[in-house]
Amino acid sequence: MDLAFSGMDGVIILVSYAIVMLLIGYLSGRGKNLQNSLSDYFLAGKNLGIIALFFTLYATQYSGNTIVGYAPAAYRMGFGWLQSISFMTIIIAAYLLFAPRLYVVSKRKNFITPTDWVHHRFKSSAVTILSVILMLWGLGNYLLEQLVAIGQAVSGLTGGTIPYQFAVIAFVLVMLAYEWMGGMKAVAFTDVMQGVVLMIGIIIFLAGSLYLVGGNFGNVTSFIADNEPAKVGVPPMDASINWMSMLILVGFGAAIYPHAVQRIYSAQSEKTLKKSLSRMAWMPPLTTGLVFVIGIIGIMMFPGLSSGDSEQLVGMMANEIAAINSFYYWIMILFFGGIVAAIVSTADSVLLSFSSMISNDIYGRFVNPRATEHKKVLIGKVGGIIAVAALLWLAWNPPATLYEIFVLKFELLVQVAPAIILGLYWKRLSAKPVFWGMLLGALLAGIMTLTGYKTVFGIHGGVLGLGLNVFIAVVGSLFITTSAKEESEVEEMTSLKLEA
Amino acid sequence: MEKNEVKEPIQQKWIWVGVVLMMLAIVPWYFSKGGEITIVLGFPAWALVSLFFSLILCGYLSWVCVKHWNIVEDLEEDGK
Repeated sequence: MDLAFSGMDGVIILVSYAIVMLLIGYLSGRGKNLQNSLSDYFLAGKNLGIIALFFTLYATQYSGNTIVGYAPAAYRMGFGWLQSISFMTIIIAAYLLFAPRLYVVSKRKNFITPTDWVHHRFKSSAVTILSVILMLWGLGNYLLEQLVAIGQAVSGLTGGTIPYQFAVIAFVLVMLAYEWMGGMKAVAFTDVMQGVVLMIGIIIFLAGSLYLVGGNFGNVTSFIADNEPAKVGVPPMDASINWMSMLILVGFGAAIYPHAVQRIYSAQSEKTLKKSLSRMAWMPPLTTGLVFVIGIIGIMMFPGLSSGDSEQLVGMMANEIAAINSFYYWIMILFFGGIVAAIVSTADSVLLSFSSMISNDIYGRFVNPRATEHKKVLIGKVGGIIAVAALLWLAWNPPATLYEIFVLKFELLVQVAPAIILGLYWKRLSAKPVFWGMLLGALLAGIMTLTGYKTVFGIHGGVLGLGLNVFIAVVGSLFITTSAKEESEVEEMTSLKLEA
Repeated sequence: MEKNEVKEPIQQKWIWVGVVLMMLAIVPWYFSKGGEITIVLGFPAWALVSLFFSLILCGYLSWVCVKHWNIVEDLEEDGK
């Protein structure tokens, strides 16, 4: 992304952001012994208040990519991209299916990772290991995407003054440093700063772009209706089916992200959790909704861009907006710094979750269960750094074939949803069918993506895999007889009591 | 302090019927295709209807979170 307005000013802003992040990390960890407890380091002592919890939920669901990637999507698809509001909203409905009960169980049992719940419920190493693999794979790919995006955004913002690879390494080091010092607390507090900048930036970006098209959105729509009527017309039936499929895939996929589940665990109380989610329900129109409008305005500002060129849309619009006057110039620089910060804020949550799973689910459960918490935390931190190094290597040496495996995220993650959600409510759900459902669902989704059939009749491979997964888990469990003792054990596990 | 009864969203079926109905209203499968495009308030009419139900869904879920979810809140707040 080439930004004509950037350069040295962009560098100054980015360095300031980096300093603030490091400062927050230092202050979050200062004088506290975070390193001696998994819960303190990975879940901020399960004591996040409403502001930090809200913003860290926000930063988990919305990244800098939400702007840089979603505005071009609106540009290409037209009004059909309104779906971005509904698929981000439906995540809250998916949370409501399981978060209220999982919160209570997690407090009672002191869970650290989503796998803790899966293991507690099914007591099966096969189910535990498979869910760890699927979640780490999904998280790893998500992190990879964010790392690539950091480099592109920084080198774009500084007009190449900071080269791509240097940008990625510099920001990764900043992120690792504040995360090392302050753990989840640092992640959540930096999310507050990053979230505020992003929200304000989007609003001013929209104001600037509206100003440039004469201040009337109706004119933009009429312009599109005259020149590219397909972008304002009623979407064809397969697009509607695809929309519905997106609601299911993103709704369940994003709510079940390990770092999303860990935010349920981190809440200080039920009251903070439900209030934060209640506010989150209004964020899609204010975030993806406004980005959608920006993308639509882009159709009038830069008509006729090819699919590849449209990816640069946000940068191209920012150039025009920055040229309005010096107020917009500085806001655009702050905003692009904010985009970088927002990508970092999503990456840090993902990395922390990744580290916690290495620490708790792999090392603590299978390698050295007797290790002290201090050692487990340390292994998680070091494991996270190794993972980032490996992902960076992968980003710079992309494999020539099978590139699609590194795109699979939601398709795989969503396959853990039946074990987590259905397991909370249905006592008969048994480990074996859950395992086979998860495995075959993930294989179906993976194979469809790898063979180029990402969707069939508009339905995503991940959703078809989820259907197969639920079918196998439910029908298989119906064939397995469970004893009254087993059922009462599950009832105890899933009860709504705070104390054991 | 007056104690509220335990409320868990998943156990209240009407909440989910509402969610599904709203999803069906948001996705524009029921509009006839290829006809004249009417623009209302700067939006194509079908998109305005979809946007309207999207906003209703936001409000609805926000309200359900606050009003129909109460499991351990009283216990936790009393313990403070």
